[in-house]
Amino acid sequence: MAALFGTRRPSGTSLLGLFFVLLLIIWLIVNLVKTPNDFFTVLLIGITTGSVYALIALGYTLVYGILQLINFAHGDVFALSGLFSSTIILSVLGLDENTSALGIIGGLALALVIIVAFGAVVNTTIEFVAYRRLRQAPRLAVLITAVGMSFIVQNVSLAVFDVNFRSLPPLIPESNVFKIGSVTYQWNQLFAVLATIPVLLLLSWLVRSTKQGKGMRAVSQEPDAAAIMGVNVNRTISFTFALAGALAGVGGLLYLIEFNIRYDTGFELGLIAFTAAVLGGIGNLSGAVLGALIIGLIQAFNEGLSWAAPGSDWTRSIVFGLLIGILVFRPEGLLGERTPEGA
Amino acid sequence: MTTSPQDGALLTVEKVHTYYGSIEALKGITIEVHEGEIVTLIGANGAGKSTMLRSINGLNHPRRGSIVFRGKDITREPPHDVVRLGISQSPEGRKLFPRMSVLENLEMGAFQRRDRSELRSDLERVYALFPRLSERKQQRAGTLSGGEQQMVAIGRALMAHPKLLLLDEPSMGLAPIFVERVFETIVEINQQGTTILLVEQNAMMALDVASRGYVLETGTVALADDAKALLRNEQVRKTYLGETD
Ligand SMILES: Nc1ncnc2c1ncn2[C@@H]1O[C@H](COP(=O)(O)OP(=O)(O)OP(=O)(O)O)[C@@H](O)[C@H]1O
Ligand SMILES: [Mg+2]
Repeated sequence: MAALFGTRRPSGTSLLGLFFVLLLIIWLIVNLVKTPNDFFTVLLIGITTGSVYALIALGYTLVYGILQLINFAHGDVFALSGLFSSTIILSVLGLDENTSALGIIGGLALALVIIVAFGAVVNTTIEFVAYRRLRQAPRLAVLITAVGMSFIVQNVSLAVFDVNFRSLPPLIPESNVFKIGSVTYQWNQLFAVLATIPVLLLLSWLVRSTKQGKGMRAVSQEPDAAAIMGVNVNRTISFTFALAGALAGVGGLLYLIEFNIRYDTGFELGLIAFTAAVLGGIGNLSGAVLGALIIGLIQAFNEGLSWAAPGSDWTRSIVFGLLIGILVFRPEGLLGERTPEGA
Repeated sequence: MTTSPQDGALLTVEKVHTYYGSIEALKGITIEVHEGEIVTLIGANGAGKSTMLRSINGLNHPRRGSIVFRGKDITREPPHDVVRLGISQSPEGRKLFPRMSVLENLEMGAFQRRDRSELRSDLERVYALFPRLSERKQQRAGTLSGGEQQMVAIGRALMAHPKLLLLDEPSMGLAPIFVERVFETIVEINQQGTTILLVEQNAMMALDVASRGYVLETGTVALADDAKALLRNEQVRKTYLGETD
């Protein structure tokens, strides 16, 4: 079987794929030569958005890995967390641009802890209320429930936080971390990357080296066997949803620092992050991060480069075109494995 | 520590009815396993042998009847607690964790245990039973041969240091030479002090190593006797040992 694929695949589809990748590289090089400053500025933007996408994409991939469920409500938990962070930061903690640096750092750290707990609780509750009872149900029933859950969370956000966009005053100075030529990198951008990296390291340590993580991997690979080895399957699934929710919480806060959020922001962002997870290979943690960075970069290059760039009107079409392309030509994603069930 | 009932049974399964949805797979089964025994369950495909094991290990609780292990009622115990009480299993079709290494699979068998030092000696014991596994510690379980996977499945169950070991078709899909080896190992494990409940298609070999056996037929116990007696039983010889007269 494997050999068959091996000899057959390069001919048609992957040549086409290679051709597109080649075009993309040429396009990037031309832009780099024409406007090097823009190119690097845009590159940094791409990495920044990509790392926020990564936090959300990881949530999809974690849950998919353990339940083979696409948790459509995930993007909405992200948006709800973002909205809730704005309340914590502005109303509860009362931070604004005049707060002292120490106050802002302490306040944001506190907000982060609260929002991590919030995301974890909301997501675990969703699993407990909506998905747990459907463990043995057909996939389609669970999928439709997930879509329903997405609407419910979205409407809760709408009811509690109304239709307006929320944003923060510039708490983190928009001054430059560095400026080389006219390439600049601002503190608020760096903040997102700086916060994402330890979160990713912590997550990979959790999954790889702790007992909980080992239980998670066991449940995702062979749930019945995991149970008779002594893994508490329900608790492991709750833990996974808690982790995913915590990541959505961090993502919501970081997104809020840079952009603005309202009740339906999670719908589109969720789809983008889901695309990133599929691109990297759904169920694969490193894949989700890689996919998210690639999509962050595609988006940034598309919207920021000047030569022959389709522009922001096309971002959605490009991202979702990419999703369809992967599902058709390489459903296992970049780092995923071809599994008997078809990944 | 609980005491066994006066009859000395390690495991008592009484009039158990187990369902899959509305399908009644076990229709009032009663079996007993005594300390130190090898007991075998034989029967045609779909007779309910695996379901019996799933009822004991907590994956599929019976609707009626009771299961008592070392004097404790475990009829409704969740699987992760059953293993802690001393019952572990090598499931039908092995069910290894394919993307974990051999060593990680073995460690999964000891998931509930905290006694580090004894854990080490159990690992040594598994490697002594299956030297092949110590050469392949780091290999992914999914890439092992069928026979090697069976060794991991049995070794993983042993890592729980069970009082009662449930084996579901350990010889399935193996070459005759491997089948011999697996049955030798089963006897060896038993002699080291582990009680075994063995489900097998290979009735001849199973009855050969067992002290007692139960013949299941569509969810009921058709025959229960000493293994030697079952081997001589004409009905059994015809149906399960493939003899024609
Ligand atoms: N998940 C399930 N859903 C519905 N019915 C099931 C399920 N698993 C088993 N059954 C049914 O329960 C009955 C007993 O099955 P079981 O697997 O216990 O048989 P078995 O004796 O182990 O057979 P084999 O020798 O083929 O492994 C069969 O009729 C089977 O079709
Ligand atoms: Mg069976």
